[in-house]
Amino acid sequence: MADRPPEAVIVDRGYRHFEGTRRGRRGALGAVVRDGFRRVLGLRRKGRRKILPWALITMMLISVAVLSALHYAANQVGVTDLVADELPHHREYFEFIARVALLFIAFATPELLVPDREQGVLAVYLSRPLRTIDYLAAKGMSLGILMMAFLLIPQTIFHLLLGVFSPDGFTTYMVDNLDVLWQVPATALVYFLGFSSVALIFATLIPRVGFAAGIFLGVMIMFNGLAEFFVDVADFAGSQYGALLAFEAHPHLVRDWIFGASTSDYAVSRAGFEPWVALLVIVAVAVLAVTLAWNRYRKLS
Amino acid sequence: MAPLFSTTNLTHSYGDVKALEAITLEVPPGRIGLVGANGAGKTTLIRNLLGMLRPVGGQMQVLGRPVSRESLEIRSLVGYMPEGNCLPLDQTAADFVGYAAELAGLPTDAARRRSSEILFLVGLHEERFRYLGDFSTGMFQRVKLAQAIVHDPEVAFLDEPASGLDPEGRDHMLELIRRLGEFGISVVFSSHILSDIEETCDWVVMLDGGKVIRSGPIGDLGIAEGLIVEVLGDPEPAARWMTERGATVTVTGAMLDVRVTGEDAFTLVRDALVATNVGIRRLGQSAVTLEEAFIREAEEEDRRG
Repeated sequence: MADRPPEAVIVDRGYRHFEGTRRGRRGALGAVVRDGFRRVLGLRRKGRRKILPWALITMMLISVAVLSALHYAANQVGVTDLVADELPHHREYFEFIARVALLFIAFATPELLVPDREQGVLAVYLSRPLRTIDYLAAKGMSLGILMMAFLLIPQTIFHLLLGVFSPDGFTTYMVDNLDVLWQVPATALVYFLGFSSVALIFATLIPRVGFAAGIFLGVMIMFNGLAEFFVDVADFAGSQYGALLAFEAHPHLVRDWIFGASTSDYAVSRAGFEPWVALLVIVAVAVLAVTLAWNRYRKLS
Repeated sequence: MAPLFSTTNLTHSYGDVKALEAITLEVPPGRIGLVGANGAGKTTLIRNLLGMLRPVGGQMQVLGRPVSRESLEIRSLVGYMPEGNCLPLDQTAADFVGYAAELAGLPTDAARRRSSEILFLVGLHEERFRYLGDFSTGMFQRVKLAQAIVHDPEVAFLDEPASGLDPEGRDHMLELIRRLGEFGISVVFSSHILSDIEETCDWVVMLDGGKVIRSGPIGDLGIAEGLIVEVLGDPEPAARWMTERGATVTVTGAMLDVRVTGEDAFTLVRDALVATNVGIRRLGQSAVTLEEAFIREAEEEDRRG
């Protein structure tokens, strides 16, 4: 029998001290933000955790492809009136992507907060160079960056393709539509604030991701109906203030304001409220949500 | 040698309940055992030292830094293994331990490398890509230890690290804790199981009802204040003789456990054996166990009120 080669097994590698630089609080903040991206997108998680976020992202990309193709086709056959008046542009496109974004926010916000809290991982976070406020800020940053990317990337692709397909040429189109460069990011920010603040309230209070997402969506839909009831059916003094419960509609109203469009038929506007009131409600809910989260996490930590 | 941590009149309350009462301590680097019954204040002391809880009064220093002003700097240099669940079930061991290193400020590449090394050290190298939700209690505890030391802390605070483990898992965990000392990492190890502390630590802090009842080298507990004597024949006459002279004698078969205070035990035993004409087979010192020392100190503390 041939001799077998000698075998060696490492049973103990000993211990090596870390001699590099420690980045302290800034490093910890960056780590939480990056982990937030991975958690929401299901990266380094089981396959089923990737389905929902990537389905929504795919939906967004398909929508921009379809919309751009419609514009391209209309330009090719020379129906410029159709392009100008009937086909959706940035403002109308927000109408669609805001609804997909609502679903995205519904699961992303509790996904970022609930598992850490319910599985006790907060104890690990808070033993690191990280304060409670840092933790919450980093989670908010993760959500904000993802949400802005979710809303802005399709709009940016759409804007660039409109320029490419424009009969006036790319440069002329870009120069003629400079306003879009602030209108779109500002609207995206309003949607982020308007939706994520309400989602934050439920993600702070409810111990299960699925329940928090479901209740958030339910509240957004039901409160819209409730607002319609107060405006159209209820007939008592002050019933028009019930329109302010339409948390889902406020960002749409502000969007129309930003784009300088005539206000659409939302309960809030039918009740006689100006768009700045809707913006005020969004900011007030955001302040309430952050205060609630801060108080809850301060007690937990 | 600079103390590992020190406290001066440290007091902490949860509402009306005082969890720590004016604790003053100075503990050197090494393997420190924090013993006490459940509710004695062990976890509260650890969380105060980490700056996770704000004390009602008193001062603390960890690694020579004041906790009140430099808690974030301290947390970069220490590790913490909480008692309860603290692991995300949907992440792999390698990902979570690497993430824990990043949370302590290590760059991503170094964090990943150290995650792999530390998981090897705690015996989970083969399982490092498994999801934590699939782990057993023993593996869970080892991942918790790994996340506490992955960033190469100067001191690791381990809160009941052996809780919920079977005897084999407990031995492995205690062995890992002993090894941390060899690597130059100080360990503050809380437990209500005194034998674990006795096996592992070289300094012990005893807590009872939020007060420190003893803090000192564990070797000092084995004071030769008692003797074990094995006699030939009936041990009762000798036991009676010594009891009449103020000794505490426990008889088990032919063995006498003799405890005296303020007198030389050897002389007393010699005189007793001569007086009762009993032969001797074996004689040795009986060391006080940590459990006995704890009970004695707690009783003395109660007497002092």
